[in-house]
Amino acid sequence: MLFFDSAKAATTDLDPVQQMSFWDRIQPPVDISANGHKIMDLFNYTTFMVIFFFILVCIGIFGFSYFYSHKRNKKPYYTYGNKKSHKNVGLAFGMAVFILIDCAITIQSNNDLVNTFFNFPKGEEVVRIQVMAQQWLWNIRYPGADNVFNTDDDVVTINDLRLPIDKKVVVQMTSKDVIHSFYLPNVRQKRDAMPGRLSRIWFELKKTGEFDIACAEMCGTHHYIMKGKMIVYTQDEYDSWVKQANQVALSANDTEDPDLYWGWKWEE
Amino acid sequence: MAFYEQHIHEAPKTFLKKYVFSFDHKVIGKQFLWYGIFFLGIGGIMALMIRWALAFPGVAFPVFGNFLFPETGGVIPPDTYSMLFTLHGTIMIFYAITPILIGCFGNFCIPLMIGARDMAFPSANMLSFWIAVLSGAVLLASLFTPLGGAAGGWTSYPTLSTLIGSPGVGQTLWTLAIFILGVSSTMGAINYITTVITLRAPGMGYFDMPLTVWGLWLTAILNAIFLPVLGAGCLLLIFDRVFGTHFFLAGAAATSGNGDPILFQHVFWIFGHPEVYILILPAWGIVSDLLSFFSRKPAFGAKATALSMTSITILSTLVYGHHMFTTSMSPLLTQSFMTLTMTISIPSTVFFFNWLGTIWRGSIRFDSPMLFSLGVVFVFGLGGLTGLYLGTVTTDLYLHDTYFVVGHFHYTMAASVLLGGFAGIYFWMPKMFGVMMNEAIAKVHFWITMLGLNGVFMGMLFVGYGGMHRRLYNPFWYDFLQKLIPINTFITWSAILMGFGQFFFLYNFIHALLKGKKAEDNPWNVGTLEWTIPSPAPNYNFKDIPVVKCGPHELGNPALPEGRDFQYQTEELVKA
Ligand SMILES: [Cu+2]
Ligand SMILES: [Cu+2]
Repeated sequence: MLFFDSAKAATTDLDPVQQMSFWDRIQPPVDISANGHKIMDLFNYTTFMVIFFFILVCIGIFGFSYFYSHKRNKKPYYTYGNKKSHKNVGLAFGMAVFILIDCAITIQSNNDLVNTFFNFPKGEEVVRIQVMAQQWLWNIRYPGADNVFNTDDDVVTINDLRLPIDKKVVVQMTSKDVIHSFYLPNVRQKRDAMPGRLSRIWFELKKTGEFDIACAEMCGTHHYIMKGKMIVYTQDEYDSWVKQANQVALSANDTEDPDLYWGWKWEE
Repeated sequence: MAFYEQHIHEAPKTFLKKYVFSFDHKVIGKQFLWYGIFFLGIGGIMALMIRWALAFPGVAFPVFGNFLFPETGGVIPPDTYSMLFTLHGTIMIFYAITPILIGCFGNFCIPLMIGARDMAFPSANMLSFWIAVLSGAVLLASLFTPLGGAAGGWTSYPTLSTLIGSPGVGQTLWTLAIFILGVSSTMGAINYITTVITLRAPGMGYFDMPLTVWGLWLTAILNAIFLPVLGAGCLLLIFDRVFGTHFFLAGAAATSGNGDPILFQHVFWIFGHPEVYILILPAWGIVSDLLSFFSRKPAFGAKATALSMTSITILSTLVYGHHMFTTSMSPLLTQSFMTLTMTISIPSTVFFFNWLGTIWRGSIRFDSPMLFSLGVVFVFGLGGLTGLYLGTVTTDLYLHDTYFVVGHFHYTMAASVLLGGFAGIYFWMPKMFGVMMNEAIAKVHFWITMLGLNGVFMGMLFVGYGGMHRRLYNPFWYDFLQKLIPINTFITWSAILMGFGQFFFLYNFIHALLKGKKAEDNPWNVGTLEWTIPSPAPNYNFKDIPVVKCGPHELGNPALPEGRDFQYQTEELVKA
């Protein structure tokens, strides 16, 4: 049949992909960030809670359906559920949900937020990047040798983000036209890039290699091809790339072109 | 406590007055039902087309693909794909679920269940339906404009939905259609609220109302408050598009003006979060009643159920910010919205506990309305629990705008509401049309639907966890999504199965209408007021307005005389 063939055609040249188990397939892409595990840990905790409480619900649905079907139980128990014991059991479930789910998750997430994800690193050690999203690509800007944005020596690339390992990276972003969302699946984070506003995201990378940057917010017909590459270098590799890129930028940047200066002053 | 008497007028004679421009709440309810089923079909076919593109990218859509997309040889083109998911969302939410759950059940059930002869404002009721028809016509017309229909997602965030992102007139018509529908629904909502307050039968306090009426009433309150907010947002968007204002325009592409696209998100989600409760509350109410009716015992903690539905209604107005965690809101707002969102789990626990308490030690009859109700408990359990990941800021940073979100909201809004709606249709069919549907086919329908929808929405949760983001024409553009192809194919097959299952319903429904078994006055043996009158419900419902003497769930009382296990609300409560 036609549709089977095409689905196969897409996978045959990726043999390891075809052999994967279901469990491997649904795993998120490899986590390359220093803090992504915090998100996954909370995800896993939530999953345990969800499974636990959903099993309770299922015991109720299937167990009661079995034991109290019309066939097995002719005489229903006439109650409004307003006895003291009924209320106490209800209260116990409410408390369990409140403590195990509400308190535990909210406190953990709040701590991660305050201490990590919204706690933006500052100072000269931080790698600074500016991103201008547009339909349907990512404009990326490095401050160049002077470490000041929107100057003649800035390194400007399209869909090509190169970063060093083990350094804190802050990306400030905005959009030229519609709302996009800067999504790094391997870092477990995304942030919207919005016209007229600056937003920012920070992360620290722990693995070298080549990874995808995706646009997660619907941004028009070609939203699905708005893909960038993030290459993570060792510090040495990165230093030599930066040096070379700075030189290329100095000679290749057309300083007459106003379109070059879409960056902004960096503010922490 | 009827505030005033509703007079009985002669039944209309002409076809036009009887079936088209009718003031009768029962006829208007049925009109909304046809309207909803029509759009449910369209929205469903769109869903299948979306699924097709996701599982078999580049393959011609079967049957009518070649007719619709001759230029591409039957393959769905990317711009059409965007239109499909935009209109699928819009149609399902505003033109299928809203008319069926609120328009049909609200109109049909509220007066019958509270012992009224009609709605408080019959002509506003009729107007509400015909405005909805106008809105549907505008929406369908938008598809035939030069650049096609709206394609910015059902949320239609600016600036994508302004001229910057969607120059076509289709987007303007879409926005106009939603505005018009808002007028229709607000009108309906005010009618429902007034009817419940002023026209309850003598003796019926608020806690003597069936929980179905509670659900519909709370929905109407939310609708009346928040639809005008959406209407305002739509109007501003129309101004931006047509009159050159700059409410939502910003960025380099907006050559002048400095509005704020995020303002629209606030306006949209202030409405949008209550909207999910607007859709689900009627289903909750119906399920709460049906579980009791078919377990042959009173609803467990009925008062607590009503109150927890009320507190969720109130909380739902305070949590909308969880849709905007990735927009870099201030940390304080982010934290507050997360905390408030989490508190919703407490009233949810209460009524889940009460639902299970209701079937506990019951004498359960597994008629089709009961099966569907139990199905709602199952799928809403999953839907509610998966919401935890998205109400939590940090996990949302990863999962936001992925298929995990899609799976979650389909479990809550699509699966639960659809099953709740079917439960209602199977249950009230005898009172609506005076005929019974076939039980065996109904059960086949239930199991196929259940299997299909869990395959679809569970699969979506998995691919979302795997990182696949939303609204991708071809997700396999990304390397890290390659391995999800087989799961996407599985989801599509499940969707096809689910779509196929609906033919059992259609056949059953049409067959029942044409030559179904005639229904008795009270086929399910329950005591709420609509079952005290003949099937189908006669002109002006109640010859004499009933006097209510007990609650709606008086079943299984051991003090009842031999041979009876329920009593009507019009009877004095039998005490041991
Ligand atoms: Cu984009
Ligand atoms: Cu919400």
